[in-house]
Amino acid sequence: MADIELKSDVSGRVWQIPKSAGDSVEAEEAVIIIESMKMEIPVAPEQSGTVVKVLVAEGDEVEEDQTVAIFSPD
Amino acid sequence: MKMEKALEELADRRARALEMGGAEKVERHRSRGKLDVRTRIEKLVDPGTFREVGTLSGSAQYDADGNLVSMSPANFIFGRAKIDGRDVVIAADDFTVRGGAADASIREKSVQAEKMANHFRIPMIRLIDATGGSVRTVEAMGRTYVPGSPAWGPIVSNLETVPVVSLVLGSVAGIASARAVASHLTVMVKDTSHMFIGGPPVVARLGIETTKDSLGGYKIHEKSGAVDMVVGTEEDAFAAARQFLSYLPSSVGEQLPQLDRCEVAPDQSLRDIVPEDRRKIYKMREIVTRVVDPGSFMEMAPMFGRASIQGLARVDGRTVAIMASDPRIYGGGWNADTCDKIARFFDFVETFRIPVLNFVDCPGFVIGPDAERTGTIRHGARTMSAIYRSTVPIMAILIRKVFGVAGAAHMNHEVYRHRIAWPSGDWGSIPLEGGIEAAYAADLEAAEDREATLAEIVARLDALRSPFRTAEAFGVEEIIDPADTRENLVEFVHLAYRRNMIDKPPVRYRP
Repeated sequence: MADIELKSDVSGRVWQIPKSAGDSVEAEEAVIIIESMKMEIPVAPEQSGTVVKVLVAEGDEVEEDQTVAIFSPD
Repeated sequence: MKMEKALEELADRRARALEMGGAEKVERHRSRGKLDVRTRIEKLVDPGTFREVGTLSGSAQYDADGNLVSMSPANFIFGRAKIDGRDVVIAADDFTVRGGAADASIREKSVQAEKMANHFRIPMIRLIDATGGSVRTVEAMGRTYVPGSPAWGPIVSNLETVPVVSLVLGSVAGIASARAVASHLTVMVKDTSHMFIGGPPVVARLGIETTKDSLGGYKIHEKSGAVDMVVGTEEDAFAAARQFLSYLPSSVGEQLPQLDRCEVAPDQSLRDIVPEDRRKIYKMREIVTRVVDPGSFMEMAPMFGRASIQGLARVDGRTVAIMASDPRIYGGGWNADTCDKIARFFDFVETFRIPVLNFVDCPGFVIGPDAERTGTIRHGARTMSAIYRSTVPIMAILIRKVFGVAGAAHMNHEVYRHRIAWPSGDWGSIPLEGGIEAAYAADLEAAEDREATLAEIVARLDALRSPFRTAEAFGVEEIIDPADTRENLVEFVHLAYRRNMIDKPPVRYRP
């Protein structure tokens, strides 16, 4: 299946990046966690697969709808 | 037989109308994955119930002796029909006749269609597949004209009189787009519909290259807020229209439909949804779908103003309007889009007198540079005004956070408050996190160990944060076991149906 872009639903700051390129991820498991409005808001795929590339670093500011990782669904 | 010739001609002319734009154009239309207009109507309404008005209208050519040579039917078809046994008006564009172009149509037909819904006070359903004006008309008319929208008055009036549903079933532009959004429900079909003010060729004259998808495809409009729902096929769009109407009365001033009562057992799993850690999110839709009648929740505009989940549902067979915070989007905080979505929703629930269930987890307005740049506070104040002017019964269910000005807007506090809270409730003027540094700046400045002093203040305030302390002061009316939520909603809904048709202010609906 073609790679897809994982986007942040919110603007905010990258707080944690629990997954790296090559890691497998379950559906709805956080790849990146954005801190926004004092909440931990995960960027998570809808289905399981593998992280291809992480495009942000901890502490980065992100915009709403910004692509933060590339993901390969199973 | 009397009238034999006339009846023959009538049958002939009716048969010609059924040919639409001709076999070739109908085939080309179908090859693009679209249904023709008459098939659409057939699939939408109860079998055999469509009663057309203006079947014979169109543009005819005659020979020198006055015999009919050819007939191009009008590109707008309308009539009455039934959906689930209830009367409706169907108004449908025929793209196979000059692309459904508005200015190539017989204008009076669309005016009469809108007026008919208003006159009989029955829902209006538009199947839109048309462009706006066309420059070709200039040549055909031999002159230009000052634009006017003769159907707009009846369109506005209908929004305040009957349910209006528009299904966008092709690439629509201009006045057709305006008709599409001047509705209580606007539905787009994923890969076969587009909506523009001006399409890609017109935009190209501005030096901007676009495609139909990039300019006005569903991915644009599900986020722009211009449409309420995106579906996969035309059949799905028809099903959405039927479902939407099932929640609503045929016109304002009539009580909402009431189906059979629905028993649902208390759900103890509701206790496990909200995380103890206040920074963690959860799925608000899980709560909503577990407390309303099973399978009854129909969400609208899920991709626009996403911090507020909205839709229609049933509780014990009665229609209710659902408004619920989504903590996954800005923690449930309101940005400008969310405010606009809520304001429009309140116009809608007021119009049809639908009791509101508001599931609240709102940290306030979204803050920061984007919020200021987009004038969130003005959008917010407008939304709060809509809520404070509302007279439909509202029940607030405080799930977790209620903070700030936006949090305060969970209901109209000037009237009787029907409100319950879960033990996870957490409220105040501003959240402690972030508010402490501002309120205790002098103490922190003077402290030898800033972090230790901060931790001490947090601990002190946290001890006062229990929702039970608020309940002691009657600052919240009742705190309940989440498992009992459904029974509280059922009781409210029956009370609300005693009340919702009383004290109705004049209807005002803005698309």
